[in-house]
Amino acid sequence: MLRLPLSLLLMSCLAGDPEPLGFEVLAGFDYSEGMALPKEVTAWDEKEVSIRGFMRREFPGDGPVNSFMLINDNCGCTGTPKMNEIVFCMLPEGETEDLHEGVVTVTGKLYVGEEKEDGVVIMIYQMDADTVSTTR
Amino acid sequence: MNPNTSVRLLVAVALATPLVAFCVGSGQDPKAEDWAKHVEKSCTSRRYGIRLAAARKVGAGGDAAVGAVEAYAAEHGANALPASLVDAIADSGQAGAKVSRLLWNWAMDPDFYWRASAMRGLALRVREYKDRAADGDAPGLEPAQVDYLMSVRAESDPSWLMRTHARLGLVLGGAGVADVFARPEPDPRAPVRLATLLLGAGVTPPLQPLLDALADERTFLGTPWGANLATESSKALRRWLGDAFPAFEAGDKQQAIRALLPVLQLRTDETLQPPATRADLVTDAAGGVELLSCKFGDQFVQWGDDGTVFFGLGGADSVQLAADAWRQLSEDRAAIALEKSVGVVICDSLRIAQPGTSTNAKVAPASMPEAAADWLKRLAAKLEEAGEGERAADLRRGLGQFQGR
Repeated sequence: MLRLPLSLLLMSCLAGDPEPLGFEVLAGFDYSEGMALPKEVTAWDEKEVSIRGFMRREFPGDGPVNSFMLINDNCGCTGTPKMNEIVFCMLPEGETEDLHEGVVTVTGKLYVGEEKEDGVVIMIYQMDADTVSTTR
Repeated sequence: MNPNTSVRLLVAVALATPLVAFCVGSGQDPKAEDWAKHVEKSCTSRRYGIRLAAARKVGAGGDAAVGAVEAYAAEHGANALPASLVDAIADSGQAGAKVSRLLWNWAMDPDFYWRASAMRGLALRVREYKDRAADGDAPGLEPAQVDYLMSVRAESDPSWLMRTHARLGLVLGGAGVADVFARPEPDPRAPVRLATLLLGAGVTPPLQPLLDALADERTFLGTPWGANLATESSKALRRWLGDAFPAFEAGDKQQAIRALLPVLQLRTDETLQPPATRADLVTDAAGGVELLSCKFGDQFVQWGDDGTVFFGLGGADSVQLAADAWRQLSEDRAAIALEKSVGVVICDSLRIAQPGTSTNAKVAPASMPEAAADWLKRLAAKLEEAGEGERAADLRRGLGQFQGR
């Protein structure tokens, strides 16, 4: 039988397509640049998933966005989100979305792995987001 | 090894790690770096990851980088510094006089958004200040001065993070862990955060708060803050236990906790109890406001359709408004039906939500529409009439900065 660590056990296990994935798993380890990512997260590479979180803009500004950060915490006062606490979401080309307050559910294909720019890791989770829905 | 010596070594190693990383990684003399460029990048780069990396570099630069940080703050305002930069400096381990004074000034500034991060920075350096003073060396700050600040803020600061970080400093400065945990604390997030910070600093805290957090499923107007505590706790325990962190058959959460409990029990004299699942006390909230303020502290208020008003993140305290008073307010709830966020939120924010409707909006300081502000002031007045004068005053104080100008 499959043996799982606590962080995996704590995640939602509902069946369906896309598969629900939680920050308990994505953020459930201490990330450092260049490390081998745990199999608990690499197993989700290129999977269709749905993730609940809070939308934040990566770039300063206002108005609707084509890309955004999905994070686990709704208050910037509690610390800087670490790289494994952020899913960088990109909507289809030409589509934009208002930044919603409260929890949203984003579905799409997740990509797991370090992405670098100018030698610096700029993301480890990115998603081609298909839908963004608010929870009421 | 003496436990105190172990703690000192762990804290010293934790503080020194970023410096070693900087020296190995950059191979450059900190004095020769263009710190103004790195600070600028940490504040304005379009990519979050690049801002983060630049912030870490500035933090690791220690005293050499402080002038550039101060110059940026002088030109753009201290609140133009992002949290990531302040966090990087606070957690850098650099304890020189300039860095220490910078953290002190930030922690003392009630208007500085990230003062709690600065307080954490001071807390993590307390022991080093004391050790240096004991060795006859000049500490970055006078230990007595830092002790006094920690003592005051641990008790009376309105921000739960300020209180928590001050308490971290008290423990790392030598106060008894049990005594510090026994102090009254209204925010349920605080003991979990303090315990995780202490574990990270090599001090074993009471483990029951971490165990309890694993079974926390509470939410506030849709925000799963209990699940966030569970993640925070699980991560801290996994880091602490290493390979001893149990793997187990897939199953329910309580089963997982039962597997963890004996492992934790081996590490402590504390008698640990299996936690019961903590679900929401307020299950039928019709609306609410969440005021998040680094300056004034956080406030959480929810109300039901019957005029019961609940206070606090967990909604444990409540008051029933008089039927007439509530009817008038209830009829005017359209005034708070905000569907779009207002203003640009950087730190402090007010969220209004009405579950089951499209009302879920965040308001930045000085941005609240007049009708919504009036409704919330009327709510405060009704709370006062219901005998909740102190809570009404807190709500008015919290609302103050959000009213439109």
